[in-house]
Amino acid sequence: MLKTEELQINIGPQHPSTHGVFRLMATVDGETVVHLEPVFGYLHRNHEQLGEIWTYLQTITITDRLDYFNSMINEHGYCMTVEKLAGIEVPERAEYIRVIMSELSRILNHAAALGFWLQDMGSWGTTLMFGFRQREMIMDIFESVGGSRMMCNYMRFGGAARDITPNIVEQIQLFLEGFPQFIDDFERLMMDNEILLARSRNVGVLPKELAASYSVSGPVIRASGIPYDIRKAEPYSIYDRFTFDIPVGTVGDVYDRFLVRMEEMRQSHRILQQALEQLPQASGSYINQAYKAASKQQGLRPPAGEAYCRVESPKGELGYYIVSNGGNTAYRYGIRAPSLINLTALNDMCRGYKVADIVVILGSIDIVMGEVDR
Amino acid sequence: MTATPEQQTTTQTALRPVGGGGVVVVERKQPRQSYGQGIAKGMGVVIRHFAKSFTTRIDDKSDQVGMFTVEYPEERMELPEAYRNMPILLYDDKTGQELCTSCFQCERICPPKVIHITQAKDPNTGKPVPAAEEFVIEYDSCMSCGLCHEVCPFDAIKMDHFFELSTHDHLSMDRNKAVLDRPISYYQAIAPNLWAAVEANAMKKLQNNIKRRPGNIGVAPHMIGKAQKALPTAGAGGARPAAGARTAAPVAAMGKNMPPEKVERLKSIRAANAAKRGGAVPSAEETLLAASAYTSATASPESGLHTAESDAGLAPSPATTPAPATGPVAAVGQNMAEDKKARLEAIRAAKRAQRGDE
Repeated sequence: MLKTEELQINIGPQHPSTHGVFRLMATVDGETVVHLEPVFGYLHRNHEQLGEIWTYLQTITITDRLDYFNSMINEHGYCMTVEKLAGIEVPERAEYIRVIMSELSRILNHAAALGFWLQDMGSWGTTLMFGFRQREMIMDIFESVGGSRMMCNYMRFGGAARDITPNIVEQIQLFLEGFPQFIDDFERLMMDNEILLARSRNVGVLPKELAASYSVSGPVIRASGIPYDIRKAEPYSIYDRFTFDIPVGTVGDVYDRFLVRMEEMRQSHRILQQALEQLPQASGSYINQAYKAASKQQGLRPPAGEAYCRVESPKGELGYYIVSNGGNTAYRYGIRAPSLINLTALNDMCRGYKVADIVVILGSIDIVMGEVDR
Repeated sequence: MTATPEQQTTTQTALRPVGGGGVVVVERKQPRQSYGQGIAKGMGVVIRHFAKSFTTRIDDKSDQVGMFTVEYPEERMELPEAYRNMPILLYDDKTGQELCTSCFQCERICPPKVIHITQAKDPNTGKPVPAAEEFVIEYDSCMSCGLCHEVCPFDAIKMDHFFELSTHDHLSMDRNKAVLDRPISYYQAIAPNLWAAVEANAMKKLQNNIKRRPGNIGVAPHMIGKAQKALPTAGAGGARPAAGARTAAPVAAMGKNMPPEKVERLKSIRAANAAKRGGAVPSAEETLLAASAYTSATASPESGLHTAESDAGLAPSPATTPAPATGPVAAVGQNMAEDKKARLEAIRAAKRAQRGDE
């Protein structure tokens, strides 16, 4: 019997398949991964400390930079937390606007994430561009409502920065009309692909119990068979008004995560259609007028206390924790970042698989380093 | 991937379905019998998209198949009104009076702290007046969040749509008031609806301000001495004492050794130009002058020219293309006021001499 020796391979921190500045220390025995240690912290930007120095209004601008693929949902969660802290009511119309923007960014994120994941698998260019084209259309919508493609800075305490005009509603409707064709094309493009099936089926399996004990969330835990979605488990905003399903997987492998994301895009499309239907009947303004002036002039001083709010970001459960001491800045500001928690399960997902599978498994978790390191 | 009723496992966990809908189990596909069928199916989609990209063009967002690419910079996408890039300051087209009263709201809210305002002082009393003597924004550190234009109570600071800002000259990214100032008509052109929503309020506040302190309203630097003379209520003001002095003696500024008849001729040309240009976007050469005078201490005149072209936010006219080797005055532009021309020429001559010495 030939004696084999374990070898440590360092991947990153600048490797293109690591989705940012992220380092992997893989211990391999031949081609098989024995142990894998994720090393992060290269993109640390002191986000939480900044949130304690800047005023509440200013901090909205940096929540965009957490997970830069879904800035709208980040803002949504942060604004909800401050609203809970300060007791600000959100008008109905503003809630609809927020839900529309959140679901659009869910589609945006999944379209881009699947494109990147397929690119990691070796499908260079084409599939990524399919996803990116769809993302571009949504970013055009974001640009016309928020002013910027990625760093929208659109939500405000008590609503949103400005109303969505009929023109923008029409733009969203056009997007929704074309969306089913996109998802069908995307499915036809990849779903039966033998290479995809060979590389993703029964790869990176995360069993149900392990997923729960790692407290992973989002598509990763749903692919493992646990239908845990904050929108259903603890409905925030007005999500209890919409009819939509939660897709779950059965095996918990990379392939299931792909399927769950595809189905989630369809469900987001369903929510968007319902939201646009109900939008004209929604009462109230796009922002709570009583707090418009206060939040503009940075005069927002929530009473002393603490608040925790969580939203379902495309990556998983995104939680914000703010402690106020009555001043105009947060006393303590903390974030439960889904990417970070999901990444901790990477070692168990990769152990026993081949070196080439590491990248595929990492891509299937869908991490954004801006959120992992903060 | 749609779920049949028997596939729905509603009893799976502690999930309490709220609203409609439940849990669907995604359908896993088995590999097909003959290898390669799935890839061929995928290629069919690619080929269809590829072929259509030559014949059709996507015009609205519901189209999925066709040419999606926009051939920048030959063609440009239309920017939405709400698009924001970098902050600019607004002034009244006719009078050149700035809307900014240096209330420091934007400086205070700016998250990366890149706005720096110096409040003007009354030259006689030394008391602060509601006008900005200098207004610097570090464009290179600006995060384009747009909070400054949201808080501005006078609608004086707005977000520009001009995004081609790249330059080799890092210092030119610190934009001062001369470069930031844009007429209201410029903003109206890029964001008609947004301006219409705030116009009444902004103009009312400006008029009130003028009524309260007629002599102390800030004036856009390149408008001093032009439209200013047509304005009876507000003089050039104490906002910028040096500039005020220049307006008081325009003849002297035109050139010390000029014969009087030439001075008269220049004055008439300048008046005609001012009338012709009234209400227009500041031409490239005006911003150019401000920028080159501003950067001349640190950068070569050529780099100043490049900056100025981008500042104007317009396609540069052929006359403004830098031509340092031949006739720099001609390159500066025919419509330029003579004193500016002379000043620029002097700066250039100094630079040439400097280069010659080396």
